[in-house]
Amino acid sequence: MPQRTGDRERCSTGIEGLDTILYGGIPRANTVLLTGSCGTGKTSLALEFLIHGASKGENSLFVSVTENSEKLLVNIIPYKFFDKSLVKSGRLVFVDLPVMYERLGLTKAELSMEEVDLLVSAITSLASELQTKRLVIDSITSVCYKLKTSEKIRDFILKLGKSLSDLNCTSILVGEVAADSTSYSSFGVEEAIADGIILMANMERRGDLLRTLQVIKMRGTMHSRAKYVLDLTPMGVLLVPLLKGGSTG
Amino acid sequence: MTPEMVSAQEIAAELAQTPSSSAISLQMSVDNYLDVIRGVLDLYANKREMDTIYVTATISSDAIKRVLEALDIDSSRIYFVDCISHIMMGGTTTLQDDRTTLVESPTMLENIMLKVEYLIRRSQSKDKLVVVDSINSLAIHNNNWILSEFLHILVSGLRSREATTIIFTVQEHTTPEINNMVNLVCDHGVLAGKKEG
Repeated sequence: MPQRTGDRERCSTGIEGLDTILYGGIPRANTVLLTGSCGTGKTSLALEFLIHGASKGENSLFVSVTENSEKLLVNIIPYKFFDKSLVKSGRLVFVDLPVMYERLGLTKAELSMEEVDLLVSAITSLASELQTKRLVIDSITSVCYKLKTSEKIRDFILKLGKSLSDLNCTSILVGEVAADSTSYSSFGVEEAIADGIILMANMERRGDLLRTLQVIKMRGTMHSRAKYVLDLTPMGVLLVPLLKGGSTG
Repeated sequence: MTPEMVSAQEIAAELAQTPSSSAISLQMSVDNYLDVIRGVLDLYANKREMDTIYVTATISSDAIKRVLEALDIDSSRIYFVDCISHIMMGGTTTLQDDRTTLVESPTMLENIMLKVEYLIRRSQSKDKLVVVDSINSLAIHNNNWILSEFLHILVSGLRSREATTIIFTVQEHTTPEINNMVNLVCDHGVLAGKKEG
């Protein structure tokens, strides 16, 4: 794998193709927006990132917003490298955000600025307590629906990103966009604040639907900006370059 | 008088001369198809005990399995990437199983590479063989530009993983462009057509 000397420390995703695209991995403590429409493999990729981290001894935390984590574990691809003892030992922790909302008393449809601070503080405290080095929030879009305004969304992501970065924790915020969206995020704010954007999409070519991945930006490292085709397999996410076929378009 | 065909044993003997981890172009006559399959699979999968990934775009993996059974060739080390059964829309009974992976269409060349990569990673065998059957069948569904790019990336990737690649070309169906494309990525050429003279 190509490496660049003098670069920031890397958090290897463990996904060979993605680490190659990123010249070694995500710069440690970056907050990355992993965005795309439904069925593009975002959750699978994010989970694999955590599993590889936990397997290497890095405490990893999955904050589930949309799906009950028990159901998520049942539906998880039968990864050959997934050792259930990672969960039992607490190396890989799953937390349901709706439970956290309830405990914090954040039951209203819209959170106030103070409540946003309370939520950031609760997530950060949990990450700190667990000595989390990798964190995924799936999805940040669902959290944003409770924040409503661009101002609060900006505040939430900025504060969360900063406090997780201070913990030297590398984070992936899973974003959802409509299939026909030209934006990288639902609210247009998330993409501007994140240190990196990884876009996953479905691409139609002559009637075939291909799952694609493209790194749009990643602060702190050189990276490929080309589009890759991916497959979700029991060996993890596999990537190959998208064939251009002499196309000039 | 019909010209005599190169036999499976002769094909195997010639392939045995090529170094491992190389890319081989195997040009055959359409009449020699079964001998080629027998020669290749018997040598690599059985005698050399190499895990063999067989990418079929010509006939369904089911049909090849039946051929192997008829030829009494052990197919336990052979894994299929079947690019044709799915588009036959029920014309075959091939189902995805532990040794057969279906690709929806031979136009999904990236998916063929991904399935090959998956099987390579899954394989416990030290030495691996990937057979592409055939470049001419893939050429029916893809233009030469994209096919050339596919071959280049596939063969380069397999070379870096020290796998041996054999690309089938059918003499009666080939064109100079396809031959050039195959020759560009292959280190060796084996002719398994009609005997001369």
